[in-house]
Amino acid sequence: MQLLRSYRLLVTWQALRKKNYLPLMMAVQTLFSLGIVLGYPLLFPTLDRTSIYLIATGAPAISMVSVGLVALPQTVGEQKTEGSLAYMRSLPVPRLSYLVADLTVWLAIVIPGVVLGVLVGAWRFGLDLQVSPLVVPAVLMVALTSTCVGYAIASLLPYMLTVIITQAIVVFVFMFSPLTFLPDKLPGWLEAIHRVLPVQAMGEVTRGTLAPNEFGLPLGAFLTLAVWCSLGFGVTYAAMTRRG
Amino acid sequence: MPETGSNGRQAAGKRGGRKNKGSEMLLEIENLTKVYRTGTRANDGIDLAVGEGEVFGLLGHNGAGKTTLVNQVVGLLRPTAGSIRIDGRDMVAAPGLARRLCSFQAQAQVPIDGLTPRQAIDLVGQLRGASNADVRRRRERLVDALDLGEWLDVDAARLSGGVKRLVAFAMAAVTPGRLVMLDEPTNDVDPVRRRLLWRQVRTLADLGAAVLLVTHNVIEAERSVDRLAILDEGRVIAEGTPAALKARVGAALRLELVLDPGTPEPPASPFALSAVQVGNRLMVGVPMDRAGEAVTWAEWLKTAGSVEEFTLGPATLEDVYVALVGEMGAEPAETEEAFDATAA
Repeated sequence: MQLLRSYRLLVTWQALRKKNYLPLMMAVQTLFSLGIVLGYPLLFPTLDRTSIYLIATGAPAISMVSVGLVALPQTVGEQKTEGSLAYMRSLPVPRLSYLVADLTVWLAIVIPGVVLGVLVGAWRFGLDLQVSPLVVPAVLMVALTSTCVGYAIASLLPYMLTVIITQAIVVFVFMFSPLTFLPDKLPGWLEAIHRVLPVQAMGEVTRGTLAPNEFGLPLGAFLTLAVWCSLGFGVTYAAMTRRG
Repeated sequence: MPETGSNGRQAAGKRGGRKNKGSEMLLEIENLTKVYRTGTRANDGIDLAVGEGEVFGLLGHNGAGKTTLVNQVVGLLRPTAGSIRIDGRDMVAAPGLARRLCSFQAQAQVPIDGLTPRQAIDLVGQLRGASNADVRRRRERLVDALDLGEWLDVDAARLSGGVKRLVAFAMAAVTPGRLVMLDEPTNDVDPVRRRLLWRQVRTLADLGAAVLLVTHNVIEAERSVDRLAILDEGRVIAEGTPAALKARVGAALRLELVLDPGTPEPPASPFALSAVQVGNRLMVGVPMDRAGEAVTWAEWLKTAGSVEEFTLGPATLEDVYVALVGEMGAEPAETEEAFDATAA
């Protein structure tokens, strides 16, 4: 009961702390999805069927990755600098409650953009998506992995380095990650790297459950996400409980 | 603790019942040493104890090791050596328990932008385990006592530093632990509300909490603490009541001279027990039986033009502080005006 009470109070705390810029963050993140869905056809007027499905399902994946690996580490890094985490650590609340409560708020920021991105994509390209029932756990898994890894980046690195790294991640994710294209378009060495990193798995899980008739759902991708999610969560939890 | 009390005892130790060192203490720190990875020895074998109902001051320059000490008590830092006990229980081994037993106002400004003072105080009070009704009642009293009513529902992003500081105090005091640690609570607070805050600090102790007050504001500490320790370069260099520490230095009176800016060297004083110059102010410790001689000397200097003005008054804790820390070769203490400027 105590754990639940502190979780509820911490969700309230974190949501109120973010309330001034939360709508803006949700709007920008939603625009990510819309920008991809509406902008790609301007760049490439003739798209084949596979590309259309890749763009429509890749947009929500990019949106989740951009919040988890870019917006979140920057915000958490800033909170670390202003002493927010230290203050929370001085209160008699379980570290786990704090971390889970903050992740809850971040998931709430991510999800509307994903839903809207999928709907607009389906409308723009006239797709009849036969969504798999696995889509809910899949999207939650992608969002959670993304936020956990983002949290770990912010926990481990100094703020300025976090900002620089996340800028590099933006370029890497948008230009060189197989989210809106298939991995075989990449050079071999980059394809090999992506087999280990979580971003490709995020794309595979998202499109495999949003459009199961078009793409397979490799179980290995779930496994990759589970490993990265556990790693991100573990590193963050260890950083939060460590006494200097 | 007090009325809100899930974390502590009911109001017990009134001021008259305060314990002195030697009797059972709530907080007991022995040989506390903290060496950072950089090699900095921030705390070096510190011993101190604070009893329930007592306001204990921890004085020292910036960098003396005060904040390091309180961060170890609340479990944010792990000591390199030594022990920290609250009510006889080992806090180094149980940092979670330490956070339940201590409420803490950190030196840094509390990060509550986005929240209103009402929300921040209530949420922290509830997170510390008190019921909603208890928190509401206690918050209303604190807000009245600190005169915070007009800002109660204003987003903290729009509050001044001083008001935020008072809100941070209320957050620490709304569901107080048996030990309340306040790290520079009056920084940025206006003089009127600073008095209100000191009154609430005393109220916390009167309700039975042990209060550990970290400050570099010697003048205010003298009026507010029951006992104090002076920290310098990580070590306790003096400990006792303000009166006992003043007696230790010996000078009953303080002659303060404002030197003419053109005066190259401070004039030699024939009867000085101690002399410390800070800027153009020279503070001279004077024995009671030589007060007349001191005034004659100061008037002569004023006539000669090397002194603009002078005052003779009872020695203060600041004199003790300057004498002790100054003699240890550290930088001279900030002046009273400098303290006030910092806190204003």
